[in-house]
Amino acid sequence: MKPALSVENLNYAYGSQFVLRDLSFSVSQGEMFIVIGPNGAGKTTLIKLMIGIAKIQSGQIEILQSPLEDYSQKRLAQVSAYVPQGLPVGFPFTVEETVLLGRAPHQKVLGLAAQNDLEIAQQAMTFTEVSHLARRKLDQLSGGEQQRVLIARALCQQPQVILLDEPTASLDLSHQIRIMDLMEKLKIEKGVTVVMVSHDVNLAAMYGDQLLLLKAGEIVRMGPPHAVLNFETLEETYNCKLLVDNSPLGNLPRVTLVPRKFLKS
Amino acid sequence: MNLNLEHNITRLLWISLILLGVLLTAFILGLSIGPTQSGLRSALSALFSTRESDPVLYSIVWRIRLPRVLLATIVGATLSLGGLVFQALLRNPLAEPFILGVSGGSAIGAIIGILLGLSRFPGICFTSFLGSLGTLALILIMSTGKTILRKDALLLSGVMVNAFCSAIIMFLISITQDARLHNIIFWLMGDLSASDLPQVVILGAILIPCFAIVFVFSHAMNLLMMGKDMALTMGINIKAVTLVLLVVTSFMVSATVSFSGLVGFVGLVIPHLLRLVLGPDHRLLVPASLFGGGAYLVLCDLLARTLPQQGEMPAGVITALIGAPLFIILLKKSRK
Amino acid sequence: MILEKILKLITGSLSAIIVMLACVLPLMAKTVEDQLGREVRIPDDPQRVVALAPSITEIIFALGQQARLKGTTQFSNYPAEAARLPKVGSYVRLDLERIVALYPDLCIAIKDGNPKETIERLQSLNIPVFAVNPRNLETMMQTIQSVGDILNASEKANTLVQSMRSRIQRVDALVAGIDHRPRVFIQIGISPIISAGTNTFIHELIVRAGGINVAAGKKAYPHFSREKVLALAPDVLIITSMSRSGAFEKAKADWRRLTDMPAGLPKRIYTVDSDVFDRPSPRLLDALEILTRLLHPELFEDGS
Repeated sequence: MKPALSVENLNYAYGSQFVLRDLSFSVSQGEMFIVIGPNGAGKTTLIKLMIGIAKIQSGQIEILQSPLEDYSQKRLAQVSAYVPQGLPVGFPFTVEETVLLGRAPHQKVLGLAAQNDLEIAQQAMTFTEVSHLARRKLDQLSGGEQQRVLIARALCQQPQVILLDEPTASLDLSHQIRIMDLMEKLKIEKGVTVVMVSHDVNLAAMYGDQLLLLKAGEIVRMGPPHAVLNFETLEETYNCKLLVDNSPLGNLPRVTLVPRKFLKS
Repeated sequence: MNLNLEHNITRLLWISLILLGVLLTAFILGLSIGPTQSGLRSALSALFSTRESDPVLYSIVWRIRLPRVLLATIVGATLSLGGLVFQALLRNPLAEPFILGVSGGSAIGAIIGILLGLSRFPGICFTSFLGSLGTLALILIMSTGKTILRKDALLLSGVMVNAFCSAIIMFLISITQDARLHNIIFWLMGDLSASDLPQVVILGAILIPCFAIVFVFSHAMNLLMMGKDMALTMGINIKAVTLVLLVVTSFMVSATVSFSGLVGFVGLVIPHLLRLVLGPDHRLLVPASLFGGGAYLVLCDLLARTLPQQGEMPAGVITALIGAPLFIILLKKSRK
Repeated sequence: MILEKILKLITGSLSAIIVMLACVLPLMAKTVEDQLGREVRIPDDPQRVVALAPSITEIIFALGQQARLKGTTQFSNYPAEAARLPKVGSYVRLDLERIVALYPDLCIAIKDGNPKETIERLQSLNIPVFAVNPRNLETMMQTIQSVGDILNASEKANTLVQSMRSRIQRVDALVAGIDHRPRVFIQIGISPIISAGTNTFIHELIVRAGGINVAAGKKAYPHFSREKVLALAPDVLIITSMSRSGAFEKAKADWRRLTDMPAGLPKRIYTVDSDVFDRPSPRLLDALEILTRLLHPELFEDGS
């Protein structure tokens, strides 16, 4: 199967500081691809390059088998969508207005909503279970609710690839699960390729089809959770003591942090 | 906004019509009321005075008041729209149309024109326009780094350039010792009476395409509310849109200011007021700012010329006296 | 667009009407040359005159032609009756609508101060504007004569000018007999300190009154610091200002406070009414006489 997204020899530097070194990997269509790694590993930069926010300096990125540079800004927005962690303070729109904004790549310049647009927006809100919040202002919602609205907005772009930057950071437990379940539902029901950066190794293990472990801009390991999440690799990457065993939920690795008091002297 | 297409377009049309109606009413009031009549009835009859019945009143209404009210409309519309656009581009509620060096540059240009003894039109208009283009260019150069047109850099450069220009202006004022000092001060305070009809019509003709361009980008401004990066992922060519909006808006504000001087508070208050009433959708706010801003300045100018006993006061005084408390009230309302 | 078409139609027809009116008006008018060398067509017997400066108002009253006067500018406060006339803004910022609303058949403007654009717009509305340009005592008397001529008060103007000339001659005669000229600094404006250079009325008054203007020079209204004034060692310091009472006395006190300093102090400090000293009007003669008395009190011992 042709990959949804492929990266080849990607290098990126801020000034003289290298952030990504010679990355090459590919993401299959319809899979949940999760990028993990310690802070400063370059995860956010990678996502920004893949969605076109940052300019490629050296290397190649292909989306749906076409090079990123060949896409016009609008066309790119029709095939891939980005879900940020949040919107700027003072964002003034209501939930339904925000979701409708997601239709922009498919609309003409003034963005006047056609019947088609309204239906798609309604479906997106239903899918993410935010319809009951339609008239509320976005900045009055909880973090989890806001995140669902942002996902609904992204869905309105009708993307084939959706990229999320730490979508569960700063969410409470129930919302973390809710968002991840939503992404899985998206993958299974709609066949959307989900690329996500996560700081939560266990969530990555529970949901990811493929994991990419990054450290200091380089790939440490890539593969299904069992292959990536073994404790030597993790200990060295994260530089702390860990325990990796099998999750009671099924055939998944489970990572446990080990406080100092539990270490055998 | 409702998930109902017809509702959306209808709302846009209705609100535009209502505000246009407000503008027309203000316009008619502006034409018919002046320091030389008392009472509404005599005011309205002024409009209908024919050349035979009352040639002087006819002259006053159509030769003196018409250019003035028309200019007030244009200036109010441009400044409000300018404030709206800069507030969107810079994502800063304190942004106003003079913020990117227009006030400093145009004032210096005008003062130089006055000191050189040039006539109001085209001399001083021209030097003031060049002045504001100069400061705009300076600011663009100063704030273009790796990431072109970063909004914080733009804002900072604008504020600094304006501050620097203020110093120069104070210097120029302090060394001017003769009657030209009056001209300078009146220019700085804003003067809607100095243009005649052909000049105002030319200004209007130049500005209408600018208004149209801004309207075309009104949904892009909505998307900009999400942040520059997000708007990029939505398919907006951020660099191009920002540049076009910046240049077009600066151009139209500069052109306006070179005719009218610096009339303050219109560009700051009107967009906020309209946002409070109509919501944040720029597709509504752009036409609303045009009509609402125009009406506001026409009415302020009306007060400015009829209230004082001795002679008119600058319209900028009224816009500030009304605008500042209004702004504070709006601030309180939006906090809730 | 439609709006522009309507506007064009209105301006077009308006211009046509005004041209027609312009053809009718000349019947009772004459062409004269004003003090700026402009040819102006004015009515033979102006009935509705608007004076565009306080000095012009004073001149019209002095000529006894106040019945013709229908409007003046803001600071036209002399004589007292002038304050009751309708105001048309200040002389540096004229209110066009208020002027036109008085249906004037003649406006008298002053070159130094009235904005050129407003004058031009008045003319474009077919209102004749006669401009005067008094720069010294001589041209001021010519102004009075010209204004008298156009207001059909030539004889009165003549008499007035004659009496002014004889007053000047009297002062000249008195001053001819002095033995020394005191150094004079006239301070216009309290903050900053501004004085008058060579090409001003005040300089001429000082010279005629038998003094030396320490601020003489090319600049018409030079700025001074207190130090500079003291360095010029004036014998007499005269303060004139538009702001009255308190500010005056404070200015005087500010100078007196320096009394404990050594040399270079003005021995005599006086305050005078700026309306009398700064306006090119008949009262300038009063100013001349006051000034002579201040500079040379010895000439007036005999009680004249």
